Amino acid sequence: MNAITAEKMVLALIGGVTFLIVALLFSILGVMLAKGLPAMHSGFLFDASRDFGRSGGIFYQLTGTLMLMAVAVLWSLPVALGSVLFQTEYLGAGKFKNLLTQLTYILNATPTILFGLVGYIFFGVYLDAGVSWVTGSLILAVMILPTLQVSIREAVEALPEKYRETGMALGLSRPTQIWRIILPQSFYGMVTGVLLGLARAAGETAAIMFTATTFSGIQFPQLFSDPVPTLQTHILVLAQEAANPESIAQAWGAGLVLLGLVFLLTLAAWAFRTRMVMESEL
Amino acid sequence: MKADFSGLGIRHVEPVGWVFAVMNFIFLLCAVGLGLFLVVESVPVLRSEGWGFWLGENWWVGETFGALPMICGSLIVTGLAIFLVLPVALSGALFTSEYLSSSIRRRVKGVMELLAGVPGIIYGLLGVSFLTAGVKDVLNLLDGNTLFTAGFLLAIMILPMVLTLSEDALHSVPSEFREASESLGLTKLQTALRVVLPQSLPGIVGAVLLGVGRAMGETIAVMLVIGSLDRVPGFNFFVSGQTIPSKLGREAAEALGSGLHWSALMGLGLTLFVMVAVLTFSGNLFIKRSSQ
Repeated sequence: MNAITAEKMVLALIGGVTFLIVALLFSILGVMLAKGLPAMHSGFLFDASRDFGRSGGIFYQLTGTLMLMAVAVLWSLPVALGSVLFQTEYLGAGKFKNLLTQLTYILNATPTILFGLVGYIFFGVYLDAGVSWVTGSLILAVMILPTLQVSIREAVEALPEKYRETGMALGLSRPTQIWRIILPQSFYGMVTGVLLGLARAAGETAAIMFTATTFSGIQFPQLFSDPVPTLQTHILVLAQEAANPESIAQAWGAGLVLLGLVFLLTLAAWAFRTRMVMESEL
Repeated sequence: MKADFSGLGIRHVEPVGWVFAVMNFIFLLCAVGLGLFLVVESVPVLRSEGWGFWLGENWWVGETFGALPMICGSLIVTGLAIFLVLPVALSGALFTSEYLSSSIRRRVKGVMELLAGVPGIIYGLLGVSFLTAGVKDVLNLLDGNTLFTAGFLLAIMILPMVLTLSEDALHSVPSEFREASESLGLTKLQTALRVVLPQSLPGIVGAVLLGVGRAMGETIAVMLVIGSLDRVPGFNFFVSGQTIPSKLGREAAEALGSGLHWSALMGLGLTLFVMVAVLTFSGNLFIKRSSQ
């Protein structure tokens, strides 16, 4: 066997492996569709679940998930925006800035269940919010903080230096520069960050399963101290009733909805990111 | 009065700037508070168990708390995932970076990045429905909920992330290196294996470390397929086990907020946090070095 045949064989091997990877990942999507679509009877999205999740729809679970992630972004966005602007506009390069960047990375990689544990102690016990949707949204807010920060920072740092110089040459004060130049120009980055943050919050289960959610008993929270049903917890509980085919079927339906939600948000984020790159190249 | 922050590298700050400074302080509090709370809350269990917390084999609520089964489980499951994912991800990255045309490459990367965001609960559902039964039948076991099942599921889960990050590292090798190597008469594969791969090794190591970090911290998917049995597993990977996050996921709701049991869970959390922080820190260090 000469070197060229050997090379062709290796090439065929790694090419085949690559094909298998892509096929495996598409088959995951295929399975989700094949298993999830049969559960989608008319009104699956708009009916309340009945009989401990075995029949009915997922309306309140869906609203719970949407509510938690939206409120989390409301908490998180001002902090992310403020801290990034402080770090890029007010803080010179140095050890403190590097430390803050490292903290963002570490926060980003922290196992999500730890946000649940510590968040429960801080928000739930010390701030007395208990097991409630408020605690859950605060925990998710801390969890998605690095996601928002990274996107916003990328957008702010991608601004051409001449924009700032022009602002300075016009004698704009720094707050005016931020308000008139930096914020409008990095708007798409902010939107990308928000969408990616929403996607991350929507997919999270571990951090909220014992701090914010309930499986049954509550439909839509009436008080700040009420827990909330979510798609994630719904799937988690139903998935553990493997012996019961009705539960599993409902779990697949809810899973497909959740996956669709996450994909939609991610794709929308990418659309805005492309927009941002195009604008900065003008 | 003008405050002097020159030591921290802060420039002159207007009133609006103070708002940003407060936001930054909140971020700092979140990050530092996370670590601090884990330490403070695990003091009671460390005081009562001492080093035995990490060395003890028994976790009996109300009597003794030993974390060794969970630590071993975490290391085994993560090790298995890396062992399974590495050859596959590297082949895929090499092929995608060196052989695919740029439009197909971009599509493959897009699919990978989309899949990197699939929630853990979805993998958990797939694992419960297919993987546990598959492992049970293929390997002829009594129970499909094993350390191996969890490692396999994690391997699939971190595959897109490891692949796309190592592909970034391979692709960032300047094309002059490839041209020089091919002009010396090396074939494309030889170039890929002997020139591009060694050049991008730090980036690949970084990608793998970040993947390990993600695998080590995954809760839901692992919790559903590992069998949740606390014991030091030895070298048989085809038995039920427990990882740190799966233990936390199973027991956090019972212990909620008080007592030695909660403190023991926080101790487990602290252990996990330190392990993942070290992995992430070194992973980022490698990636940074490779991109310079």
